[in-house]
Amino acid sequence: MEESKDMLEKAAEVLKNEKIPPGPSQELVDETMARLAEASDRTETIQLGSRIRIRERVRALKNIHKVAAAAVLLLVSGYAVGRLSAPRPPDLKQLQSALSPAIRRELLDEINQYLQASYASLADDLDRKYQQDLNRVGMQILAASNTVTNERLAELIESFNEYQSQERQWFTTMLERMESNRLKESVQLSNALAEELERTKHDMVQLLVYTQPAGSVPEPLKEPDN
Amino acid sequence: MKRKGDSRKYLRNVQVIDWNTIIKEHGPAVWQTAYRLLGNEADAADCFQETFVSALGFCRREKVRNFSALLARLTTARAIDQLRRRFRQAQSKTDFIDCSIVESEQAYPDQQAEQQELVEKVRQSLSTLPPQEAQVFCLRYLNDMSYRQIAKQLGITTNSAGVLLHRARTRLRESAELSVWK
Repeated sequence: MEESKDMLEKAAEVLKNEKIPPGPSQELVDETMARLAEASDRTETIQLGSRIRIRERVRALKNIHKVAAAAVLLLVSGYAVGRLSAPRPPDLKQLQSALSPAIRRELLDEINQYLQASYASLADDLDRKYQQDLNRVGMQILAASNTVTNERLAELIESFNEYQSQERQWFTTMLERMESNRLKESVQLSNALAEELERTKHDMVQLLVYTQPAGSVPEPLKEPDN
Repeated sequence: MKRKGDSRKYLRNVQVIDWNTIIKEHGPAVWQTAYRLLGNEADAADCFQETFVSALGFCRREKVRNFSALLARLTTARAIDQLRRRFRQAQSKTDFIDCSIVESEQAYPDQQAEQQELVEKVRQSLSTLPPQEAQVFCLRYLNDMSYRQIAKQLGITTNSAGVLLHRARTRLRESAELSVWK
C-alpha cells in the first residue's frame, strides 16, 4: 500500500513536472479569438432579438390600460344599446291561451292521422300474414291428404292382388279336382263299357245258342282285334 | 424593469471582457494544463479552444472574479472529457509512447521512458475516474489548488472536495493500470 501510494505520488509529480513545449502558438491564439468572436456574434444576435422583443413587450404594456378602457367602454355601450333597442317580452299567459287550442287541435289531427295510417298498415300486414298462414296450412293439409290417400290406394291394390291370387288358386284347385273326377269317371265308364261289352257278348252267344238248330255247333266268336 | 436591468448588466459584462488580454495572460497556464493532461499538441490545442469558448459561455451566465481558477477548472474538465473520448475510441493510440521526447543525450533515457509510460498510465487511469473526482485530483495535484479553492470552483463544500480527492486517490491506487507498477 505504501509502495503504491509512493507510486501514485510519484506519478502525479512526474505528470506535474513533465516537460511541456512552449505555447500556445500565435496561430492557436488567433484561431481561439476567431472562435470566440464567432460565438460572441451569435450570442449578440440572439440577445438583440430578445431585447427587441422585451422593448416591444414593455411598450405594449404601457398602452395596455388604454386598450382595456376602450374595451370596457365598448362593452358598456353595446349592452346599453341592446337593452334599449330590444323588443318588449310578450305576455306568456295570453300567448299560451291563444296558442293552446290550435296546438291541441293540430296535435289531435296529427295523432289521428298517425293512428289511421298505422291501422291501415297494420290491417294490411295482418291480412297478408293471414293469407300466408292459410296458404301454408292448406299446402300442409294437401300434402298430408295426398300421403294418406297414396297409402290407402297402396293397401287397396295389395288387397286386390291378394284376393285375385286366392281366387286363382281356388280356381286352379277346382280345375284339378274336376280333371281328376273326369279321369276317374272316364276309367269307370270304360270299365263299365268293357263289362257291358262282355255281358253283351255273352248275351249274344246265349242268344245265338238259343236261336240256332241243334247239332250245329256255333262257331266261337272271334275276338276283336282290340 | 428588473429584466431590463439584468440585460444591461449582461451587456456590460460581455463588453468589458477583453479576451485578447485574458488569453495572453492565462493562455500559457491553460496550455500547460491541457498539454500535461493530454500529452500531445493537437489534443491540447482543441482543449485550449474549447476551454475559452466554455469560459465565454460561463461569462454570459455569471460574473467572473477569478479567471485563473475558472480557466484551470474548465481546462481540466475539457481535458478529462477528451481523455475519456480518446481511451474509449481507440485504445491503441495510448499503447504507443512518444519516443521522440526521450532524449538519449541525457543521463538516464531508460528512466525517462519509464516515467513517460507512467504518465500515460496515469492519464488512462484518470479517464476511468468519475469526472468530478478526476477534476478534483487534477486541480489539487497539477494546479496546486487548496481544498477551499477547489470547492469554490466546483460549487461544492470543502469536506466534499476532500472526500472526492480521497476517493480519487483510492481508485487510482486500485486501478489496474497503476497496480502493474507496484
